[in-house]
Amino acid sequence: MMINAGNLKKGEFIRYQNEIWQVQKADFYSPGKGSALMKARIKNVLSGKNVEYAFKSGEGIETVEVQSIEMQYLYKDAENLYFMNEQNYEQYTLLLSLVGDIVKFLKDGDKYYVYLYDDKPISMRPPASVKLKVVETEDAVKGDTVSGAKKQAKLETGAVVMVPLFVKVGETVTVNPETGEYGERVKI
Amino acid sequence: MKITTNVENLNNYQLYLKVEETIHEFLKTRGYLKIELPVLSPALIPESYLEVFKTEFRYLNEKENLFLTPSPELFLKRLLAYGIGDCYYLGKSFRNSDPPSSLHSFEFTMLEFYKVKANYLDIADELLGLLNYICIKLNRITDTGEKTIIYGNKKISFTQWEKISVAEAFDRYAQINSNELFDEDLFFKKAESKGYNIKQSSYTDIFSQIYVQEIEPSLGQNGYPTLIYNYPKKMAALAKLNSDNQTAQRFEFYIGGIELGDCYTELTQWKEQQNRLMAESKERSQQKKIKHPIDKGFIQALQYGLTDCAGIAIGVERLAMIYANLDTISKLKLINID
Repeated sequence: MMINAGNLKKGEFIRYQNEIWQVQKADFYSPGKGSALMKARIKNVLSGKNVEYAFKSGEGIETVEVQSIEMQYLYKDAENLYFMNEQNYEQYTLLLSLVGDIVKFLKDGDKYYVYLYDDKPISMRPPASVKLKVVETEDAVKGDTVSGAKKQAKLETGAVVMVPLFVKVGETVTVNPETGEYGERVKI
Repeated sequence: MKITTNVENLNNYQLYLKVEETIHEFLKTRGYLKIELPVLSPALIPESYLEVFKTEFRYLNEKENLFLTPSPELFLKRLLAYGIGDCYYLGKSFRNSDPPSSLHSFEFTMLEFYKVKANYLDIADELLGLLNYICIKLNRITDTGEKTIIYGNKKISFTQWEKISVAEAFDRYAQINSNELFDEDLFFKKAESKGYNIKQSSYTDIFSQIYVQEIEPSLGQNGYPTLIYNYPKKMAALAKLNSDNQTAQRFEFYIGGIELGDCYTELTQWKEQQNRLMAESKERSQQKKIKHPIDKGFIQALQYGLTDCAGIAIGVERLAMIYANLDTISKLKLINID
């Protein structure tokens, strides 16, 4: 489908210079010296390479339909993530560089949506939040009641995030995997 | 859109206030008169690349359209024509159709100052003085007395400008030489060979696309703020032309690839001003932008004769964001709408 570059949105897939890219960031930009532009950071779904490009906002861009399938995350190695489609037990391999920083919040065995194009995994949809157990954090100092104060906490996947002082080892917290920001404490 | 309360930004907001206060103080000591202005106006200057906000005044059965000012230029130039002298406005301006982003808000604080009997290079000196003064007030001084800030992970010193002409910048960063830059046909050919889609695009469209794509990211990255000057006359807006007759006395300044301000030596010939305003107005209606009356008082002031002067417009949030070493203007604010 053709759309105007001005309507590009984060997460969309486009065909640009005969390759498929996922939009990482798209900011409308009016430089005051010509028509408005759409400054986009796009990631090549084959190589994982990021490119910054300023499209004219009225320029036609071809968006690409991709499949989104829920799969179980099995494990990762130095280069790839491995998923299994529970419908047919087929295994899929996704390049680590295509996933980016959210990988440190992924938990083996959990289910995530994987994007497929031509039956090849090209990206995954980051969940809005992930629930992870705190495995390491200092006890809060009694009497320290400065509101908004935070401390470091190591989560079960190895990721380190900032959490409020009241969070203790063994508790489960939610984290936005895209920003690494703490959400809330949850009971499981 | 939604409203968010961000009290965690209190420290940044206080730095923003300090920057604002310092600007007032600096301009006052340099003899500029502070001008308070309306932000709602029944008429505006036609500007083809800006969209405006329209509202209306109602009284019983009467209605009148009012527009939020996209810049204080129309009022300040009236006053300059009447001999007000060096002056400035520091307050809100409004631009429609610019979705909120890390560097943009549809309402923002603008500093616009004018100096009479001056050209764009005089403003560049004044501006460097202001940037240094803000460093002093924010205590951004090294042991050796150098006024510097850190932006991103780079040191920026305000001891001097890195000056580069637009033609040099296109040559250095986009491999487009000055023959190609100033000749529309050659420029389109070169742009196409570089992979740009030139269909249904004007010279200014392609210029601006290459500028944003290949040049801007390199500006203000070499340890000093960059002053990029002498724009092709198609990008002259209301700036005076140079004697080469192909460039205009206009500059923009950058830190860390971010545009912070736009300066002109003001065009004072009435005929030429009229031509450019008419072209802008025509362009607006072709683009189906919101119709607004043209400010006749502004036109009369220009006819009466704008004194020789130069002026600059600066985005104050962006400037404070740089001093605060932040990547988005929203982190300076206690209340955000986006």
